[in-house]
Amino acid sequence: MSVERHQMHEEDVGAYLLYALSDVEQQRFEAHLEECAVCQDEVSRLRPAVNALPRAVYPVSPPPSLKASLMAEVARDVCERDEAAGVARRPGAFARARRRLDGVGGAAFGRLRPTVAWVSASLVLLVGAVSGAAGLYAVNDATRDDESSRTVVAQVDKTRLPFGSGSLVVPAGSQEGTVLRVHGMPELESDSVYQVWARRDGEVISQSLFHVGENGDGAAAVTEDLQDVDAVMVTRESAGGAKAPSEKPVLSVKL
Amino acid sequence: MNLVQAGNARAFELLYDRHGSAGFSLAYRMVGNRVTAEDISQEAFLSIWRSRHRYQADRGSVRTWVLGIVHHRAIDALRRNLVHERRRSSAEGIEERHEAPERERTDVEAARREEASHVRSALGQLPDEQSRVIELAYFGGFSHSQIAEMLEMPIGTVKGRMRLGLDKLRKGLKEKVG
Repeated sequence: MSVERHQMHEEDVGAYLLYALSDVEQQRFEAHLEECAVCQDEVSRLRPAVNALPRAVYPVSPPPSLKASLMAEVARDVCERDEAAGVARRPGAFARARRRLDGVGGAAFGRLRPTVAWVSASLVLLVGAVSGAAGLYAVNDATRDDESSRTVVAQVDKTRLPFGSGSLVVPAGSQEGTVLRVHGMPELESDSVYQVWARRDGEVISQSLFHVGENGDGAAAVTEDLQDVDAVMVTRESAGGAKAPSEKPVLSVKL
Repeated sequence: MNLVQAGNARAFELLYDRHGSAGFSLAYRMVGNRVTAEDISQEAFLSIWRSRHRYQADRGSVRTWVLGIVHHRAIDALRRNLVHERRRSSAEGIEERHEAPERERTDVEAARREEASHVRSALGQLPDEQSRVIELAYFGGFSHSQIAEMLEMPIGTVKGRMRLGLDKLRKGLKEKVG
């Protein structure tokens, strides 16, 4: 790295830490930062001062409605996760409450500020959601969602995916493909990807590649006719995928 | 925090109890409006819940992580809406927003007020021109070019004052701790 390039950026350190650079300038500075040890040191040296700034604010109590609506959203997340993982039996408690509220003209669930009734219902559900969440990762069973399909919860290698979970909806008759849904999976580096495999008679067949979002959630297609498939598995592979699994599955659904 | 990362809603509720007030206070300080501050806080804490796996203890405390996310959300809100418009003509909008002091109900609140006084005192030691640019950027969400325009000074001067001010603040905080 040239001295000139460093001099061009060294005055940006304060503005960078205070989020006062434009987007383009910030990207340029971050690119420079990756290769400039002097600026890295300067950022590390000054960052504690920036971290102290929010502590200069005198505390103001938030309204109680903030916590109520926030925890209602969290409860909804937990219930949806449980339902996706097959923990909640048909139909889910939250879905039932949602239909009940919709049926009586209750507040829409997508709103950030629920009505009192909505908050109350959600908080009641939260109690169940919290207790249900504790057992989420221990569950590994198949539940029948309706007359035409069943949900199978994935087994997860907790040593490698401590927060991961997943489930597969298996259509009745297994004449068609389906979707594997995962939650709490770590994001992989850009040169890696999750790969889905189906195993039939000992043969392992690639199905699809996928990445997970910021919150660790993702979905992947299982294109194989599930007839005679005994397992759907996920491994971590190099970008572009592999011809055969390069590691023991991190997540598998036994059918 | 491990329980929060495992998706335990009760643990997350405790995290909110511990840091919710600080987050809301920061948002309110930045936008000067309780309703907007409430929206920002809700968005920020939901984001914290949904990206809980991203927290890394070796990169800082939970409080720093939480307040950083609230700050980002507030900056986004300031830059995408018209809150700035009513403040652009003068810098008075970023002056400290005081409500009537709330009764200190707990030791935690008392400690937070003491901490605030401590940092404000260190900020108060800075030359006005340095604390001004830092407050406009951090609490006001203004970019260096906007600040240069408002204060009618070259961008290079603004950047220099930011850096010098942060350095002096760092030293001031260190001295007070020492």
